[in-house]
Amino acid sequence: MTPQVIYISNWQLAFGLLFILAAGIMSMLHSLRLERDLFIGTIRTFVQLFALGYLLNIIFALDRVWWVLVLFLCMIFFAAWTIRGRVKEKQIAFFFPIFVSMLLSYFLVSYLVTAVLVGAKPWWQPQYFIPLSGMVIGNSMNAIAVSLERLMGELKKQRHEIEMMLCLGADYREASHHMVQSAVRAGMIPSINSMMAVGLVFIPGMMTGQILAGADPLLAIRYQIVVMVMMVGSTAIGSFMVVYLVRKRCFGPAYQLLLRPKNKRYASS
Amino acid sequence: MECWNIGTKFTQYFSDPLFHHSNCKGNELGSNTVGKQPDHIIHFENVSFAYPGDKVLFRKLSLGITPGTFYHVKGPSGSGKSTLLRLIIRLEEPTQGRILFNGAPLADTYPPHLRRAILYLPQTPVAIDGSVREYLLLPFTFKANQDLQKPDDSQLMERLKAFLLNDIHLNDHAQTLSVGQLQRLCFIRGMLLSPAVLLLDEPTSSLDKQSAAIVIDHIEKLCKTSSLAILMVSHEEVLPGSLKFRSLMVADSKVSEIFGIQEIT
Repeated sequence: MTPQVIYISNWQLAFGLLFILAAGIMSMLHSLRLERDLFIGTIRTFVQLFALGYLLNIIFALDRVWWVLVLFLCMIFFAAWTIRGRVKEKQIAFFFPIFVSMLLSYFLVSYLVTAVLVGAKPWWQPQYFIPLSGMVIGNSMNAIAVSLERLMGELKKQRHEIEMMLCLGADYREASHHMVQSAVRAGMIPSINSMMAVGLVFIPGMMTGQILAGADPLLAIRYQIVVMVMMVGSTAIGSFMVVYLVRKRCFGPAYQLLLRPKNKRYASS
Repeated sequence: MECWNIGTKFTQYFSDPLFHHSNCKGNELGSNTVGKQPDHIIHFENVSFAYPGDKVLFRKLSLGITPGTFYHVKGPSGSGKSTLLRLIIRLEEPTQGRILFNGAPLADTYPPHLRRAILYLPQTPVAIDGSVREYLLLPFTFKANQDLQKPDDSQLMERLKAFLLNDIHLNDHAQTLSVGQLQRLCFIRGMLLSPAVLLLDEPTSSLDKQSAAIVIDHIEKLCKTSSLAILMVSHEEVLPGSLKFRSLMVADSKVSEIFGIQEIT
């Protein structure tokens, strides 16, 4: 960003591979069998980041709102796809609800942050909108995956309690109230915890980057504060929406629970 | 000629004068009863059911349940006894065919209202984090039950006494109770909703002999004094002594009345 940042040459990058080599040798000596993953991981890191760098360069040069939004859409799509792969429960189709709720909630948060909090003009200015929205997506993606996993797990585990409530005249919302609470809480706790630990236990990546780029640490922390509140906001809205939409799909028209235990059969008799 | 216990209150559900007559005929369970049967509070019409990716549990099942009658549902493990009950309250949906309640398809009734009219007591009682009072009044916290009159403490105490639960206080924590006590509480709680049909899934499986006798006694009394239709799944021969009951055998994808004349295929 600023000219005083020291350039890293290709040779210097290649030198960095020595760390990977060291890890590989360790893995071989102790037969950790991580060599293959290390190799693939290294290649992917290089390829994905170089591709991203070039892509960002192009988008910065184009400086058009549509291209920024297309990139935003792609990021959300891949995030939703990643969550789909991470959540093991496959009885309920939840890709679409995740995609929709991530799109709505993250756009709202990213827009508010760039347009109002940071005050970038125009709001979609790639230099601000892309890294900030990327951080929102990357972090709350984990929150949503955790919430979903918890929701499905609780609905299956508490099947007896849910059915007891249903049998006494509860609708599906009343019967699954506790599980929703627990799922949203599980998703939000990490981002709240990181508000507690930030600056004491770790220096956040974005702040590090800005300081490296020569920014005043007092400006860097202002950006970091924006990022922290943005994270809490986006995990809260995102987890809520996803949990509500997916819960609805877990129940049938008679409010019966559609998620079944592993052995498919409900009861032994 | 056999005549089952015809309750005095059933006319609130059925005003058809034919009901008395056909109810006393006995075995009207069978394929000759296809079509709407006003004397059946629950009627299965060619119902087939299988759990996803599993074998067929019921094949073209037709079955009528008469008010004021006690049915003992038996059969080998895994034959679908619980599933038969779960189908009636739509915790499972038939893959084919339909089930009628009071002559209308189950789907015509708002599910929470259906489930309070047809009360299902599952095998294992679930404790909640709260007092005995909260446990008993749980149904009255649901939106769909706001039209019901909430019983007061003295009414609740009276019911506890009837089930020999005198030593339990309404302020006790529900999770400190034994399974047997909980099971009786579930029974009491369910009856607060004044259901028309009672589906019991091994209600005495976790009870000692004495508590089981109390529950069975109570069921017996209920059956004699009301128009309740009761379906009870049980393995053991814990059955009402002074009550005529009908036995349904669930096996090989069908339900048949044991001493019945017709068998349903």
